[in-house]
Amino acid sequence: MISGYANPERFDRIARAAIPVCGALAVLLLGIGIYLSLFASPPDYQQGETVRIMYVHVPSAWLGLGLYLGMGAASFVYFVWRHAVADVAAAAIAPIGAVFAALCLATGALWGQPTWGTWWVWDARLTSMLIQLLLYLGYMGLRAALEDEGQAARAGAILAMAGLINLPIVKFSVDWWASLHQPASVFRLDGPTIHASQLAPLLVMALGLSFLAAWLVFYRMRSAMIARRAFALRRAREARA
Amino acid sequence: MSAALAVLAREARLAFAGGGGPAGPAAFFLAALTLAPLAIGPAGATLAAAGPGVIAFAALLAVLQGAERLFGEDVADGSLELYALSPLPLPVIALMKTLGAAFAALWPLPVIGFFGGAAYGLSVSAALTLAAALALALPGLALIAGFAGALAAGARRAGLVIALIAAPLQIPLLVFAAAAGRAAFDGDERALANLILCAAASLFALALAPFGIAAALRARME
Repeated sequence: MISGYANPERFDRIARAAIPVCGALAVLLLGIGIYLSLFASPPDYQQGETVRIMYVHVPSAWLGLGLYLGMGAASFVYFVWRHAVADVAAAAIAPIGAVFAALCLATGALWGQPTWGTWWVWDARLTSMLIQLLLYLGYMGLRAALEDEGQAARAGAILAMAGLINLPIVKFSVDWWASLHQPASVFRLDGPTIHASQLAPLLVMALGLSFLAAWLVFYRMRSAMIARRAFALRRAREARA
Repeated sequence: MSAALAVLAREARLAFAGGGGPAGPAAFFLAALTLAPLAIGPAGATLAAAGPGVIAFAALLAVLQGAERLFGEDVADGSLELYALSPLPLPVIALMKTLGAAFAALWPLPVIGFFGGAAYGLSVSAALTLAAALALALPGLALIAGFAGALAAGARRAGLVIALIAAPLQIPLLVFAAAAGRAAFDGDERALANLILCAAASLFALALAPFGIAAALRARME
């Protein structure tokens, strides 16, 4: 099944269709989501208007982690089956995931100041997100440092998988080490504890930002594939001349 | 077996031949432990409270010192290809190389850590616990540093990249080693639990890192 998407030309056809669809859905959903979260949802009875930061903060945290999982999965596919498209996907996801992790930290600091009275605390969840950002930066730094494209791809794939294996242990050790942030309140076995008037804009924003991420990833992947092809063509022409 | 021991011995001799053996990391560790109080201030209570963390962190940095050399030189001078031709499995070679270098160069760190802990105002038993935590954490730290070194072998500015990719992976070892020293300083029975967790994290690295290093080295030879 995976091999089907490994064909660059087929990927290009899929990406050319997916880019406008993801882009349109992202603009539409983010438009609705921003309206819902800024105007159509009530202020929190404790936190007042500052709760609206949540509608960006929480989806960013989900995407920061989710994109890392996606990067790890793509790296695994590349490592095992050597599909070039999977490597392009991992390389394309890294900066997008890093931006969402950074966005989560920045909005968290803006939210923490009015509600907790501090920009930053060394709490388990905050620290985990900071470590997540470091993992992205390490991955990008390693790829940038290795000159040979193929070696950068292989080393990057191994590092992304190692990060994935290590992530639960880091999470566990950091949980052990500290713990002001509220526990998870949406993904729970007994149903979300967040009120429906806040859940709806949150989910719309999460979907919108997910499509935004997908749009950017597909766009970056397609650009990278075209750039590779152009490079190969130029090399071929130079070889002939 | 004797071939594996030969790799171990070669790496230990190389540590002495090229880099002064344990002198480099030990001097770095000592310098870091001397500078930290100058930054923190001489107040006894603050120093004793910060001591285990500062010492564990300085040990982590000292371990990273040798990571660039360990596999970078093998990639540069071609001995990596010879290792790959050997009938010994590459993960075994990776393990022996990393541990050989670590045993030869890093053994003074727990000793210095003990005296450093005492100088920072920890009780003898707390300083001993910290030294034991360092001794348990060092194999894991060295293996993860070796993994980062193998990934970045031969890269431009490899040292910087190694620090950036090894640091997040070493976090559990840092947390548990420092927590063991802190708990012992507080007279808390969690010191033992943290020692065991330290050993567990090291064993985890021992089980996985050789295969990670071998995969990274194979990627470098294509």
